[in-house]
Amino acid sequence: MKVTINSFKAVATWKWDLPEESDDTCGICRVNFEGTCSKCKFPGDDCPIIVGECRHCFHMHCISDWISSDASQGKCPMCRQPFREKMADHPPRTPAVAATPRTPTTAAT
Amino acid sequence: MAGMSSKRLQKELVKIQGTLPPGISLVSAPDLKEWQMDISVLDNPLYPPADKYRLRFTFSPSYPIEAPEVVFLAAPDRNIPMHPHIYSNGIICLDLLDSQGWSPVHNVESVCISIQSMLASNTKAERPPGDKEFVRSNRQRPRDINFLYHDPTV
Repeated sequence: MKVTINSFKAVATWKWDLPEESDDTCGICRVNFEGTCSKCKFPGDDCPIIVGECRHCFHMHCISDWISSDASQGKCPMCRQPFREKMADHPPRTPAVAATPRTPTTAAT
Repeated sequence: MAGMSSKRLQKELVKIQGTLPPGISLVSAPDLKEWQMDISVLDNPLYPPADKYRLRFTFSPSYPIEAPEVVFLAAPDRNIPMHPHIYSNGIICLDLLDSQGWSPVHNVESVCISIQSMLASNTKAERPPGDKEFVRSNRQRPRDINFLYHDPTV
């Protein structure tokens, strides 16, 4: 028996590549990292995550609002170390994709 | 910025309407600008556990980047707790509420817990130095006041 796949619908999920011990929500807006900050409509590359040298993560828009406020004194909201973006092994800006084909339409000949 | 405080406060409200730590309760949250909370202290003879103290939270549109204003309110059945960092008009001198000590990872619940523990660890039934003069003359909003931390150990 030969099986020929005529078409299939692929379903993909994505997740930010964050430090292992990272929370799954942004401490500033309390929204999941895979969701958007409170100002954005579309998650993903348009609303990226920043990892600090202290390994604390935030939506880029949330942490930049905080850092640009006088009260922040440039410090991480979690640990109060000076907040600097972690450059080495930075999470790739293209989200890691795990594709799983589902409901393949098969035709047996 | 209007969206920032409302989305975050809606999330907090859902959580607060579920469970809160012992001695902390939500009184009213008619909108996303001003909430009232009651706190009681569980194990300090200065504050009988049956006594409740009312806190008023006022949020600016840029909450949580900006700290909420948090003061004690007096009411017929609510007194302003005696504490060396709490003025008799309800203004609280607490580092995490001023712009130097605030962090946007704080929230209504964590602020209530901090104030509750500030009362729980207190041993002095007294007002801050200069309370009468401060209450008579102060016209500033709490966040604009530069408090002197007379005794940071309290």
